[in-house]
Amino acid sequence: MEGDDSQVSADEFEALANALEEDEAETSGDGSGAEAPEPSPDASAPDATQPEHAGTPELSHGHDLTHHHDHGAELLSGDPGFVDPEMSLSTFFNSWDLFGDSAMAGAVAGGLLGFLGVYVVLRRMVFLSAALSQTASLGIVVAFFLQISLGVGFISPLLGALIATFTAIVALTLGVSQDRRDSMLGFVFLLGASGTILLGTRIVQEIQDVQTLLFGTAVAVVPGDFKLLTGIAAVIGALHLAGWRGFVAVVFDSEDARVRGLPTRVIELTLLMTIALAVSVSTRVLGAMPTFAFSVLPGMAALRIARNIQRALWLATILGAIAGFTGYLFAFLFELPVGASQAFVALACIPFAEVVHRIKIALAKSP
Amino acid sequence: MSAITTEVPPFERASSTERVLECEELRVGYDGHALLPGVAFSLHTSQLWAIVGDNGSGKTTLLKTLLGLQSPLSGELRWQERDRVGYVPQRARLDLSAPARVIDVVRGGVDRGWSFLNPFHINKHREAIAQAMRDTNTEQLAEQMFSHLSEGQKQRVLMARALASEPSVLVLDEPTSAMDMQAEHDVFTLLDRLRHVRQIAIMLVSHHLPVVAEFATHVLLLDRECDMVLAGPIEKIASEHRCRARYGRILQEGIERRNAHLCSLDDGHDHIHGHDHDHDHDHDYDHGHDHTHSHDCGHDHHHAHSHSHSNEEEE
Repeated sequence: MEGDDSQVSADEFEALANALEEDEAETSGDGSGAEAPEPSPDASAPDATQPEHAGTPELSHGHDLTHHHDHGAELLSGDPGFVDPEMSLSTFFNSWDLFGDSAMAGAVAGGLLGFLGVYVVLRRMVFLSAALSQTASLGIVVAFFLQISLGVGFISPLLGALIATFTAIVALTLGVSQDRRDSMLGFVFLLGASGTILLGTRIVQEIQDVQTLLFGTAVAVVPGDFKLLTGIAAVIGALHLAGWRGFVAVVFDSEDARVRGLPTRVIELTLLMTIALAVSVSTRVLGAMPTFAFSVLPGMAALRIARNIQRALWLATILGAIAGFTGYLFAFLFELPVGASQAFVALACIPFAEVVHRIKIALAKSP
Repeated sequence: MSAITTEVPPFERASSTERVLECEELRVGYDGHALLPGVAFSLHTSQLWAIVGDNGSGKTTLLKTLLGLQSPLSGELRWQERDRVGYVPQRARLDLSAPARVIDVVRGGVDRGWSFLNPFHINKHREAIAQAMRDTNTEQLAEQMFSHLSEGQKQRVLMARALASEPSVLVLDEPTSAMDMQAEHDVFTLLDRLRHVRQIAIMLVSHHLPVVAEFATHVLLLDRECDMVLAGPIEKIASEHRCRARYGRILQEGIERRNAHLCSLDDGHDHIHGHDHDHDHDHDYDHGHDHTHSHDCGHDHHHAHSHSHSNEEEE
């Protein structure tokens, strides 16, 4: 998944870089000996000039950098490979207004996608988020192409992404039977990926903007994005709480639900639309890797442990939220790439669930 | 000796002659290609129709068309407006990776239309859920995981789910597939009892002619080889000359088995009646069986007397 969470928008990065330069000049002037951080060793980072460690606060919040400079300098002093966890933990929470939005964005996205991920896993659509990312890329590229080559300017790149994503969702819901949906996801993914590359050769200068528009960075979530994510999570959560029995009925046995007169098409469309919306916003705010991880792993783990879908939904929400938050925290403590750290913590849900599952079996067998 | 329960379950009962479904020259198939000749029949309350035929004869296609899951190619299909259909799908089609306790599965059958948006809907149907579980003898399985049950138990749970929404028609797709003979017999016994106790119409797909002949009141016989569809009371179909060569003997044997069984019940009427009382006071599902005593050794006798406790055994 290209453009994973090391991407920051150009304006943000410029502001961050300027602040960093000023900051470094001040630091070296007073002889504190603080050094700039090593570039991220993360192979997935497309640009080594954009480090993504949560423990490098000057990258996290350019908008509030000077105010929290002392904490950042404290973290960066001494051996760059060693960070005192206790001290860093207190630093983290003391600097809540600096890191809070990003950490909480991870928790909110993790919780939301964990919840929806139960349906994603049950419907065998684990590649939905990957397919939708590619479809959105194609939408943006088409919009740029229309602007540049044909002079059609009324479709903005983001509108193009939205149109492409929702067209894919409608096609997946209405045009394909459930049995063929998995292979159709592959079709959508490849259409998006190949179409983006092919059309990309015609809009060489704009192709970088596609990545910038689509993929956010979990390390530096701006307040506006955090509010957007929280608002979307609240709306989707309310919708799903109100209609959970319909969603569960359709997922468990859609044929029976149809016979009982439930509006299965409406329910399916709503389900996929909400998943698409959550995936799009999360990808935009956090990046592709944590989004993919949150939309699959907590749901898988919860379904292994829970005794019914309702409990799986709650458990997946909690596991996802924990993975999002602690992933960010671990990235801060151990200077790790945030997206990969969140994905790795989400991965840990699987062995955790397996252990719990086996303990439950052992307890059930014991007299 | 406890008195037999005679209370009527809290759902609306139809008169025994009420028509619930009518088909006229209904043609079913795929992509404009009809699998069968036109089908015509009427389904009434308290009847048990079995759709029988070889593999690939179009049984499930016909069933799905009747349920509205598939469009008919031509012809007419009329459900009564107030009909509520309870559907029991093939168990093999269900995704058992979804965790669910038995009680969750049964509760999941309550909603109809947009009622899933009403948070109090399930509370209003608690009694219907409990009754459905009593009727299918699944109460004691309530907290067990659905995926851990035996095939016979799963079938009873799916029936309870279908009954939870208080249907006037119960439609089952191969309810006894992958079951041994005893489990199959138990399922048909249960269906026979439900048909009488709830006075609902039942339509099912089955491969197994002998047991169908023993329990069904009507048969819809599909034979693609002979391009033939026969529909009607089972005795009439068994004596139909087009059917006799291939299916007549099996159907006739089943009918005779049933008649012999019912005659033996009538002979030992007093004893069996008393016996039932001993067993049935714990289970509401056999109440109302009195009306069957007015029958002679004819075809519409139900089997609750002798099999009322067979479903109590854990499989």
